[in-house]
Amino acid sequence: MPVSEVPRILKRAEQYVKQTKFKEALALYDQAIRLEPKNPEGWSQRAGAKIEMERYAEAVTDCDQALLLNPNHSDAWARKALALSQLEQFVPALAAAIRATTLNANDATAWYVKGICLEETGKSEEAEIAYAKSLELEILLDIKAEKDRVGR
Amino acid sequence: MKTNMPLTKPIRRFIAETERLLDTEITLLRKPEAPPGGTLLDVYTYKNLDKNIIIFPANYIGLLKDFVIAKQCTHLRVKGAAAKTGGYHVLSYTPDTVYTGIRQVYLDALKDEAKKDKKLPVNKLLGMLFILYRQFHEDINELPWNPIVNARIYHRMEQLRKTQLYILLKDGKADMDEMIDMEEIVPRRYFVLDKSMFYARDFYLAKTLPADKLMPVVNIPQMKKFDHLEVKEMLTTRWTHTAWYQSKVFGDNMLTIMEKHLAVDWGAEPTLEYYGNLYKVGVNLTNALLAYMTMKDWFIWEKPQHLLDAEQQAVTYEKAALRKIFGDLIEDQ
Repeated sequence: MPVSEVPRILKRAEQYVKQTKFKEALALYDQAIRLEPKNPEGWSQRAGAKIEMERYAEAVTDCDQALLLNPNHSDAWARKALALSQLEQFVPALAAAIRATTLNANDATAWYVKGICLEETGKSEEAEIAYAKSLELEILLDIKAEKDRVGR
Repeated sequence: MKTNMPLTKPIRRFIAETERLLDTEITLLRKPEAPPGGTLLDVYTYKNLDKNIIIFPANYIGLLKDFVIAKQCTHLRVKGAAAKTGGYHVLSYTPDTVYTGIRQVYLDALKDEAKKDKKLPVNKLLGMLFILYRQFHEDINELPWNPIVNARIYHRMEQLRKTQLYILLKDGKADMDEMIDMEEIVPRRYFVLDKSMFYARDFYLAKTLPADKLMPVVNIPQMKKFDHLEVKEMLTTRWTHTAWYQSKVFGDNMLTIMEKHLAVDWGAEPTLEYYGNLYKVGVNLTNALLAYMTMKDWFIWEKPQHLLDAEQQAVTYEKAALRKIFGDLIEDQ
């Protein structure tokens, strides 16, 4: 299969994740990574599927691989933060969340995870700010989802 | 607790506390098609479940998700405490209560139809009777618990207040929009009572939370014209004839009922006894609202299984009631 197929494979895998068919998604991510190992997107998205499957340590490894290929991959930082927070490694998770929110200030999940990490490391006031930012973005997403629903 | 999603510390504690209090297990599930308020599948309603499941929309990823969990957990505590301390019941219906209810709706509809130039086709009128009955059943089974759950969350989970306000504003608008497209079809009395219930709930929450933005006269476009008006002024305008004005008048009365029944210490320590008492408060409030709407005989308090069985039989109940009212004029479909 040619490398040009990778975007299509990643899209199909993403659909499987949405349908909670994680095994099928994982198989496609493996295929995409085999075809194009230097594409950080495949590693980062596979990390996302592994988080859903509660395989957090493996997800961190995939994120690290994506970040080796592109140190400014905001989704990979956000997923790393999420996986590390689930492993209760809140200090490195906070560092990853800070990188994620710096690279992409519109990632509601990254702000939320940042809030959790700040709270867990005893920085409640900063946590409040992160939660407020996360809520603001989540509300915008919710309003958009509502408009899409009404428009359908 | 079983979940693979990130949760804030207070929410994790709240879930764990709920599990301890009720000696039960809670699972969290994300589903794209879940309703905005989430869904609670609980062991007190569904006897075949071995744990409680809270389902929320997949696009709720942060505090919106936390609020849905807090809301459903609080409701679960009320249900669980009732089940453990004296019996958990819900409003259900039987062939007799369906007959009572839809007969009343029919009589009211006839009065309205007599005043209309453009009459509603008979088949539409008949179809509306049970739809309206079930709408009220659904609303009255949910509405009284909403201020109870929200007031409790407001006083116990400070970090969720902004989220709560957003969700309540959204709910308030959505509930007020309910039936709007049927305003010309539904008998005025039921349109008004439906709006009044939500008006009273929002007003109560606006005062209790306290959040001016939640006031129906601020949040609901159709109610805005009643803001800052004196009673005298309201009585002398053309608005007195509109359904929205009438909703405000009835809603103010329902607010008085709510305030009388919801005199509760919202910040009290969480015990089974406390939540058992909240359940009784909810039951009393429900009964008072039903009495005010003269719908006391429309429904009966029964075990949740009774309602699940009734839902299965709903079409049969409807047909039987229509036959009882109209006799042979009704043909089997």
